[in-house]
Amino acid sequence: MISFALKNNLSELDALCDHLSQFCQSCGVPKRQTFEINLALDELFTNIISHGFPDEDEHHVHVTCDCEEGLFKITIEDDGIPFNPTDAPHPNLKCAFKDREIGGLGIHLIRSYMDRIEYTRKDGKNVLILTKTL
Amino acid sequence: MEITETKHDYYSVFRLNGRLDSNTATGFEQKLFECIENGTQRLILDFQELDYISSAGLRVILKATKNLKSAEGKLVLCAMQDYVKEVFEISGFDSFLPIEATLDEAVKTV
Repeated sequence: MISFALKNNLSELDALCDHLSQFCQSCGVPKRQTFEINLALDELFTNIISHGFPDEDEHHVHVTCDCEEGLFKITIEDDGIPFNPTDAPHPNLKCAFKDREIGGLGIHLIRSYMDRIEYTRKDGKNVLILTKTL
Repeated sequence: MEITETKHDYYSVFRLNGRLDSNTATGFEQKLFECIENGTQRLILDFQELDYISSAGLRVILKATKNLKSAEGKLVLCAMQDYVKEVFEISGFDSFLPIEATLDEAVKTV
């Protein structure tokens, strides 16, 4: 298991990648799946940083990863405004090109690469648990 | 992420090396649009050395494609890793973007 905290700044994406890569390597997670987990976590972190903190204060996003019996589990906690990504609408991927919008694509990628997403609001925090079967 | 731009007679090639995420997408967007505003309407993005892309990178590519299509220009992508290509497929971007296997093929398409 690994736990780390990231500041509410996009420059922390490199630290996120480093922590995750090291942990995945130590657990023997294949490269492709490491990429998929990294992408899901990146999209979520970017979303939290972009929308979660309307104030100018420093906040921390806490990440815990666990890999056991072929199941990769990530818990992300932040004290930002309530946000449940599982409520986000599905983007329309089949519409005409001129109508294509970028909104919702991050959540769509998380849904595509992870098997389960559970959201709870607990003690003033957003708690999100993502699981992926390896 | 490193971006190398090579100008040819009627097109430019952008070679991306590293990670295209929400942290690096702004710099990429600036370089790409500087080139478009300077009059180059045919662009190739060479992803041979690109290790990673997130929706922030897709956003820039969608924006550039819309801009170029309205000016009768063209954006062609090439030499992607399999897992990068899958991100384009999952997002439905392969339905409107030419994705070639090699740079040579991209030069023919552009």
